[in-house]
Amino acid sequence: MKILVIGGSGLIGTKVVALLRQKGHQVIAASPSTGINTITGEGLAEATKDTDVVIDLANSPSFEDNAVMEFFQTAGRNLLGAEISAGVKHHVALSIVGVDIMQNIGYMRAKMAQEDIIRQSGVPYTIIRSTQFLEFIGGIANQATKGNEVHLSDVKFQPIASDDVAAFVAKYALAAPTNGIVEIAGPERFDMYDVATRYLKYINDPRTVVPNDQPAYYGGAVPRTALVPAGHAELGTISFGKWLSTQLQQA
Amino acid sequence: MKNEGGKENNRHSTPGKKEAETLIQTVEDYRREKEILLALSNELTKVREKNDLLHLFKKGIKGLFYISHTIITLIDYKDETYTPFLLDNEGSPIRTHDRYQEMVHSRFSLNEPFIQSVLQASAPISFLLKEVMDLPQSPPFLQVNYEKGVTEILMTKLMKEGKPIGFLHIYTDKPEGFSAEFRSIINGIVPQISGAVSNILKNEELLKEEKEKSFLLDFSSEIAAVRTKDDLARAVHGAFRKLNPSGGFVIRRINEDKHTLSIYVYDMPNVKNRKIIKELENTSFEMNDGLQNRILNSAIPVLLNTEREIRRGITSTYLQYWKQLGIENFVGIRLRNGETNLGILLLDIDEINVRLLKGICAQISIAMANIIANDQVSKTQGEQAFLLDFSKDITRVRTREELQHAIFTVLDKTMHTKLAMIRVLEDDGIHLSAFMYDKSLFTKVKDQFDNMAAHRITVDEPYTAQVLASEEGIMFSVEEEIKSGNDYAGLWRSTGLKNMYALPLRVGDKSIGTIWILANRLSPLLVKGICAQISIAIANIQANEKLLTYKKKLEIENDYLKEQIKTIYNFSEIIGNGEAMQRVYRLISLVADSNTSVLITGETGTGKELVARAIHNASGRKDKLMVKVNCAALPANLIESELFGHERGAFTGATDRRIGKFELANNSTLFLDEIGELPPDAQAKLLRVIQERELERIGGKQTIRLDVRLIAATNRNLDEEVKAGRFRADLYFRLNVFPIHLPPLRERQEDIEPLANFFIQKYTRSTGRKIKSISPKVIQKLRSYTWPGNVRELEHLIERSILLAEDGKIDDLFIPESTGTDKTNPALLLNRSLDEVERSYIIETLKRCGGKISGTGSAADILKIPGNTLHSKMKKLGISKSDYFS
Ligand SMILES: NC(=O)c1ccc[n+]([C@@H]2O[C@H](COP(=O)([O-])OP(=O)(O)OC[C@H]3O[C@@H](n4cnc5c(N)ncnc54)[C@H](OP(=O)(O)O)[C@@H]3O)[C@@H](O)[C@H]2O)c1
Repeated sequence: MKILVIGGSGLIGTKVVALLRQKGHQVIAASPSTGINTITGEGLAEATKDTDVVIDLANSPSFEDNAVMEFFQTAGRNLLGAEISAGVKHHVALSIVGVDIMQNIGYMRAKMAQEDIIRQSGVPYTIIRSTQFLEFIGGIANQATKGNEVHLSDVKFQPIASDDVAAFVAKYALAAPTNGIVEIAGPERFDMYDVATRYLKYINDPRTVVPNDQPAYYGGAVPRTALVPAGHAELGTISFGKWLSTQLQQA
Repeated sequence: MKNEGGKENNRHSTPGKKEAETLIQTVEDYRREKEILLALSNELTKVREKNDLLHLFKKGIKGLFYISHTIITLIDYKDETYTPFLLDNEGSPIRTHDRYQEMVHSRFSLNEPFIQSVLQASAPISFLLKEVMDLPQSPPFLQVNYEKGVTEILMTKLMKEGKPIGFLHIYTDKPEGFSAEFRSIINGIVPQISGAVSNILKNEELLKEEKEKSFLLDFSSEIAAVRTKDDLARAVHGAFRKLNPSGGFVIRRINEDKHTLSIYVYDMPNVKNRKIIKELENTSFEMNDGLQNRILNSAIPVLLNTEREIRRGITSTYLQYWKQLGIENFVGIRLRNGETNLGILLLDIDEINVRLLKGICAQISIAMANIIANDQVSKTQGEQAFLLDFSKDITRVRTREELQHAIFTVLDKTMHTKLAMIRVLEDDGIHLSAFMYDKSLFTKVKDQFDNMAAHRITVDEPYTAQVLASEEGIMFSVEEEIKSGNDYAGLWRSTGLKNMYALPLRVGDKSIGTIWILANRLSPLLVKGICAQISIAIANIQANEKLLTYKKKLEIENDYLKEQIKTIYNFSEIIGNGEAMQRVYRLISLVADSNTSVLITGETGTGKELVARAIHNASGRKDKLMVKVNCAALPANLIESELFGHERGAFTGATDRRIGKFELANNSTLFLDEIGELPPDAQAKLLRVIQERELERIGGKQTIRLDVRLIAATNRNLDEEVKAGRFRADLYFRLNVFPIHLPPLRERQEDIEPLANFFIQKYTRSTGRKIKSISPKVIQKLRSYTWPGNVRELEHLIERSILLAEDGKIDDLFIPESTGTDKTNPALLLNRSLDEVERSYIIETLKRCGGKISGTGSAADILKIPGNTLHSKMKKLGISKSDYFS
């Protein structure tokens, strides 16, 4: 199959590309650096030509509310427009668990807009909603840091390793479109502050985590269980502990 | 076997002198190598284009060492492949291979052992083709080369910033392969070759950008000069010719209806079929056809595949045509000015250069928006000029013909359309009748149209009601009206036009009618302006027409008045107190006050009209004018319209509506003189009017109720006319309700003298002559004359005699010779058989002679036939005493 991975140079994208190539598929890793840009449309028509599956793993360069909304809307419209014209048979996108109940957060609104564009496009699709990537814990800690303290709540948190995410994405990309949402998550559930505490300690970060009981995500108040799957979800195999150990090896 | 690395491998060490020689040789080799390296490096740093590098391979390397050919491939990381970039294949043996072209355009995977070993090697590495080509996943070019006699390949990876960017492939077909020196030199110049390739890439990129920029610059200066659609077509044509000499382009513009697109400018060099071009030129394509809307909604150019779009179920005909024309792929880009979509550009290409296309389209869009705005301005100016002319024209309009001319012209000039219908509200405020329309619009459905146009509708007719209730009119889509079963829509559709624009005609707040215009699209402002003017013009014309009718009526009434004055004067001239006249007076006074129809009979000149007027003047209708029609005075074909009136256009020559005498005599008396001369058709109609007491104008649909008192007169014997089948019996009975017979003058001997005196007085007054007396001899003469012309003959005779009289005395009369036919009332002879003439003449003569048949002063004497002959004639004609003693 010819598979186009938008954001093929990103964290998940690189892994998905590698997995699919291993399986012998013809994979195009698309990103602005390889001349394929969903915002400007550059290279898009050529890249989607004769393509069976498009996997959208791109992310906005800016997370500012308006910019991120603009990014996902423009990219979504351009990409799906090109897919329709090229006759693409399956569109796979990576979204976020709880995206629909965290609409007070700009990024979530943008991801929801992305999902809506997919659903309305008419292209057969699979939307994979994932929990936060373990690789993202550092980022979460950073945005919650004040001075030497990291203020995080006891919001439920079930992070997943990017290798697991990539494996799920590859699996769904090769399966028939579900025309619906599937959810994926890590194998264990925590309180968010707890994961951060253990992570910082593990990497010898001097900051201290100050827990609170106001569940929030990226500054926006959210229901305590917003970030974890409510119903059935496929769970990754890589535990937090196992992941931590590989992190240090890589570092 | 693969052979990696530089010189070390091939350098053997031998002891002694040989050693020294070798050393010298080695030093020499190094020197030579260094020179070559230096020279090549120098050359390589100057490389800017592919040709420079090719030249270097050919002259610099091939000149020194034997190799068969060289290729540079470049890595594409997005799909992890490498593909040929530069081919120094002059003299290459594989150029003749079947798969050569395929190789040139192939993308070879990086994920296989052969190329991976090259990537892992830190220096040029050589392979014997026969050893590697059959390994699993080995790239096919190895096999291809081998098949053309190539034996060995030297692969060198080219690096940039620590990352492989491509490979230098060097081939040889010599069994000895690549020398150590050669390998060493290549290894030495790899960085420079890599640098050269990067430079070429950079340079190509720059050149491309440069080319794009200057292209766009040229285009923008051409676009800046664009003023008209034709200019635009030329500029775009020129630009795309530069990009793709064989391909065409089409710009479609969103039509004013906002839901279709039509061709705006185009160039389709490959389309030779005029029919297809016409079709594409003249069709408005639905915007939401599943394709055009996608292009319009896409911020970026879209690459489309004709076949796929057809399979998708898009039915717009242009796709079929393109398929026929063999256009496989095409690119669609929206043309947009600010946030407004203007149209789309379609290009016969299958590659997209987003930056260039966006640049071109931005310029086209601006030009297009300017042209459209310009067109709009000049159109508006033109429309305003027309409106101004129209308003000037229309203020001068006095008649329908002038109005029609003005309206037809303005509709044609400003909107290229024709008037479907103007209906005008009638005085009753309920009915609307056709006022004006352009027949030429409905030639295909003429009969149906005429029918519908003739039909008087009311304000409650649903479509009219909607239009009258609307503020600014209503647009009916012909297609939709057809679906909803609108009877009129069939007519509308026959014109091929898409919409019916119906507007109320108003003067101030008052609705005066409706106007219906068929068109595909109309400028609302223009229509409104025109309608306002038309309304006023119609109101003026209506007022004018009313004024004219009123004036006409006044004129007619005036004529009657004059006539009446004359007859009133004449009425007093009903002179005579003889027995016969006393009976007539009695009858007049008896019947006058009723509404009964009266039939006055009597010979010519007996004063039938005077009696009719006397009846009228003694009736309750005397304040109105009696209307007189002489049925003998009009040709048969005009008598009906004279009596009953006609609508405009009822028949050829009926250029105006005409009010008939019947209508004119409403609430008064209609005097039908010479009723015996009425043609059969008119008799039938007259009968109907008398029976129903209402009439319709010829060509009209409206019935008019009437209250008319009828007085008919004739000098014929209607009884006989009926018998002879020339006069309808039923009509006769209707008319003959109250007969009054006027006696001939010869039966009123006692009235002759007073009449003569009366006329003498009358004419002496008017001529100024003084006549004092008539001699008794003259009186005697008057009495003995038969007076076939009756009172009128007497009057004329007196008038003539006064003119001829000398010294105030009439002592002779110029009575015509009582011979020949003129002695007889010619009216009596008309339409009679010889027997009848003979019979009545004999009876008359007998009457005059007091019934004396033979002897002196007898009828036989006058008739100059023997008494016996007269007797037998009387017998044969059935003349009895009762006939001449009455
Ligand atoms: N982080 C989480 O916890 C989480 C959870 C659930 C879902 N997700 C979703 O997962 C997806 C992938 O996340 P990630 O962390 O793997 O992203 P990432 O590492 O930031 O990579 C983003 C990728 O998008 C590409 N990209 C940026 N702009 C582009 C453009 N205009 N056209 C084409 N490609 C463009 C980037 O290309 P360059 O490398 O050339 O810039 C890069 O390859 C995102 O959609 C994210 O919303 C994230």
